[in-house]
Order: sequence, then structure tokens, then C-alpha cells
Amino acid sequence: MLRPLLGSKGSENVLIFMVARDEGYAREISQFFGMDISTVQNQLDKLELGSILVSLTKGRTRIYTFNPRYPFLEELKQLLEKALSFYPEEEREKLVMNRRRPRRRGKVL
Amino acid sequence: MKSINKMTQAELAAYVQSHLQEKGITVVLSGGACVSIYTANKYISADIDLIDVYSVARNKIKTAMEEIGFNEKNRYFVHPDTKHIVEFPPGPLSVGEESVTQIREIKLATGILRVISPTDCVKDRLAAYYFWNDQQCLAQALLVAKHNRINLADIKRWSQASGNNKGFGIFLEKYSGNKRSR
Repeated sequence: MLRPLLGSKGSENVLIFMVARDEGYAREISQFFGMDISTVQNQLDKLELGSILVSLTKGRTRIYTFNPRYPFLEELKQLLEKALSFYPEEEREKLVMNRRRPRRRGKVL
Repeated sequence: MKSINKMTQAELAAYVQSHLQEKGITVVLSGGACVSIYTANKYISADIDLIDVYSVARNKIKTAMEEIGFNEKNRYFVHPDTKHIVEFPPGPLSVGEESVTQIREIKLATGILRVISPTDCVKDRLAAYYFWNDQQCLAQALLVAKHNRINLADIKRWSQASGNNKGFGIFLEKYSGNKRSR
């Protein structure tokens, strides 16, 4: 949807994932979209180099979020949120309706 | 001209900036190095963050840096004669959502240092404190505020505009406390 503007589908996927979930790491983004993990990592690197994303390590995982100091962040998020609203309902729900509350370790579903 | 191994951080930044300016690349010093400069090295940062104001092509920067002996390593530029590493975060030059318009020019033996003002340096540090609750950055903002003339009213306006009244209140309380204890 934003590919002509962002230059690649990979870049759009990463940014849409971020706006839907606030944070993400390479493996979960690649699994969600069925993309090669190195492609996702390249996009994350590019967006971090451009100061659009920032990252922190938690344990052995590098978690990416939007850079709150990026001067066009509000406008970028508005654009991405609008693009997300045009996604097919099923895909949009899968992106947004993920479990965020805690689950005790070892708990049986 | 001093050799690179004898340059202070500010002198090295000015040397790099002046060389890049000759090549048509405009960069402004921001980040932790500004804190070092504005606090007479009460805070030490090895990084030199030169904001690439007009987002020029990376290759152009790389070529210019190689001419003065710096090599790109990952995303940084290193030189065998200095511990300082140089980074070029992309522009625009901003603090939070606001663009930085006031640039200080300080003439040094190695060139002209173009650096954000102490007020913007405080905002830059406070931004990290507001967004990530980074206590080190709050301490750095206080150090810069203590050692320099700053525009407190502008910092208050900027903080309020970005919805950080509470954070500014904490900064102000500590800043006022510092002033009283002087």
C-alpha cells in the first residue's frame, strides 16, 4: 500500500508492524509476514540508521520501537495508521489483536 | 596544525567539521560531546555526533572522512590516532519535534566548531529523560544548565508543548536546588 512511497514491501511491513504493536523484533516480524529474517533485519537496520527506530536488547533479543525523538514521528504514525485501516480486516486483526497481557510460565491454556 | 592525537574532542570535532564544510557537507555537533564541551569535561563522552543537516549521500561523507584518515567501522568512523569515534546521525537537526535554528560557532585552532546552543543541549538531554526516564541524561541536562546561561522559559515552553510538564517539574526542582546550594 505504501510501497511506492517507502521503496519496498519489507519496509512497509516493518513499519506497519511497529505502528500496530508498538514494538517488535526481527524474528517475530519475519514470521508474521513470512519474510526472510535477513530481509527484515536489513530493514530494521536501515530504519534505525535513519533514526526512525531505536533498539534495546532484552536478554538475547533486540527489541525495536519507534524513536520518540524522530521529528516526523507523529505524522509518520498518522500515515501508517491510515494505511493500516485500509488493510484487509483479517490481517489487521492479526496485527492488532495479539496477546499483550502476562501469562504465567508453565500455565496450560 | 595540531596532530590528531593531540586534539581535544572539541578541536577534533571542529577539524572534521571544517574539512567536511570544504566539501560542501554541513554538520552540527550534538549529543554527549556537547555536554562535555559545555561542562568543561565534567561529563566525558568519547562519541562525536555530527548531525548531517541536509542528509547528504553516505558515500560522500565516507570519501571526505577517508581523506583525513578516518575509516568507517560499522556505522562509525574511527581514526588510529584518537579514541574518539565520529558518527553522522541523519538530519534534520531537531530536539523532539522542533527544529534547531540557533547554531553556535566557536573558533578553535583546528577550525570552526558548529554546535547546538546550551539551551538546545539541555533540551536534547531532557528529551532522552522524558522519553526513556534516562537518569544519566537528566544529570547531564542539570550539569549543562549549571555551567551555562540557558533560556529556562524556552525549555519550559518546549517541555509543555511535548506534554512533559511533570518531567520538567522534576528538572526545575533539581535545577533550583542546585542554584540554592551554590
